[in-house]
Amino acid sequence: MTPGRASRLQLALVLTILVLLHFYVRPRLWSARVSPDFLLIALMLFSMRSSPGVAAVAGFIVGLVADSLTPARFGAAALAHTIVGYLASWGRSLFFADNLLVNAGFVAAGLWLRDLVLLLASGTAQGRLLVELTVYSPLQALSTALFAILALAAFREWFAIRLDA
Amino acid sequence: MTSATERSYSRRDTVLFAVCIALSLVGLLSPAQWGLGIADRLRETVLLPLVLLQNRAEEGRTSRERFRVVTAERDSASYLSQGLPSLLAENERLRHLLALGRRIRTPYVAAEVLHQPLPTDGRTLLLSSGRREGVSEFDPVVAPEGLIGMVLTAGEHSSVAMTWAHPEFRVSAFTVTGNASGVVAPSASESRGEGALEFRGVPYRDSVPVGTLVLSSGLGGVYPKGIPVGTVIGVAREQAGWERVYRLRPAANTGSAAHVLILVAPSDADFVPAFPSDSALLAARLDSIARIRRADSLAEAARTAAAARAESLAVARRDTVRRRAPRPAAPAPDTVRAPAVPPRTPPVPTGIPAPTTQAP
Repeated sequence: MTPGRASRLQLALVLTILVLLHFYVRPRLWSARVSPDFLLIALMLFSMRSSPGVAAVAGFIVGLVADSLTPARFGAAALAHTIVGYLASWGRSLFFADNLLVNAGFVAAGLWLRDLVLLLASGTAQGRLLVELTVYSPLQALSTALFAILALAAFREWFAIRLDA
Repeated sequence: MTSATERSYSRRDTVLFAVCIALSLVGLLSPAQWGLGIADRLRETVLLPLVLLQNRAEEGRTSRERFRVVTAERDSASYLSQGLPSLLAENERLRHLLALGRRIRTPYVAAEVLHQPLPTDGRTLLLSSGRREGVSEFDPVVAPEGLIGMVLTAGEHSSVAMTWAHPEFRVSAFTVTGNASGVVAPSASESRGEGALEFRGVPYRDSVPVGTLVLSSGLGGVYPKGIPVGTVIGVAREQAGWERVYRLRPAANTGSAAHVLILVAPSDADFVPAFPSDSALLAARLDSIARIRRADSLAEAARTAAAARAESLAVARRDTVRRRAPRPAAPAPDTVRAPAVPPRTPPVPTGIPAPTTQAP
């Protein structure tokens, strides 16, 4: 098996685990609004290892899933995830993507940006927007980043992550 | 200088990004029914295993909670069984009061709420029951505390409910006192956000005090009558001399609702008895007090009647005794003169000489 193929398989395996965690473990955790978003972790990990166009398509698919499960404003989640996936792929070239904390920071920033675009696109009232962006989104970004650190530390060999700062 | 491959690679990325953005905008700007239809189809096909997986996880979590509740109830029951029977009866009565499912006499479908981690989760809720369980569009969704919303789309295995936080939510309502009616809608106030409701269209002359419960009125054909919608917490705004808009605290919390009931009954059903409000509970309590008093008064009346009966019996017995008692014989001239019956003399046994009186 070639290294590239092995790497793709490893990535696919981790993404599958994250999807299962999202639908089977997350409902058992605490409040849905602050529990980690495993789908977004999967999207960020995939986007940071793909080209921007492929990352945008992946973001669109993840957004479509989110829109199907929460059709408050169909298309808003697809738009938000597309932008986040595309920017995550571009951002990889600007930062040290093999650093654990940089990866975690990427995930947290991606989630906050996702929430911002989603709330704006779905027409949320100003007061609610402020509460979401200053209270719930940072909390969820924190929990998501922590789980991203755990996932990356567990599969650091596969993702070529450096644990030293 | 960039190579041709890198340029095409970058152009391809830009094209893919632009296509995805365009598709998202099409979804965003297209009629809501299209988006809901696509969401339904995706949920019932590609995402069905994932929805079922989340449903299993939700059931597992809530089953543990239910088990804890049942265990606690069993422990309480076994503890109370050592107490007074009246406490047991009271416990049973309260349990009946709390069990919404028992109170609703019309058909309903229980469903788990499958919360999603998106900030728009409170506006629509994904429910674990669908058409297979009898759910259809426009079915009201309630929690034990009150109204959640209505079913927006119903798939085969799952459905989506529009909650009171959705901008398009409206319900015709009236106050529990019955003196004001209007339409309840999500708060339009920018500063208050989505966490509150507004009771609109209340005539200016009808003032509604703070703390008044607002119920669905049954008008409009979607929500049945009598489901609590919220409690008045103040005046949001008023148009001088025309109408007042009151701010309501919603009865049910969409963010924390784990189980809901989807009412599949005809919308003309009356749900007032199913949701005892504070005033209804007060009325029930007053009624039970009145019943107790009535029972007390009945017992008092019974006691009084028994006492009166005993007294009358005593009087009757006394009269009877008086009637039978030997009265002092008044010398009747006829009797003295000619006694009809010879005077009784003690029987004299044969063979025994009759005593003779001797003069001293």
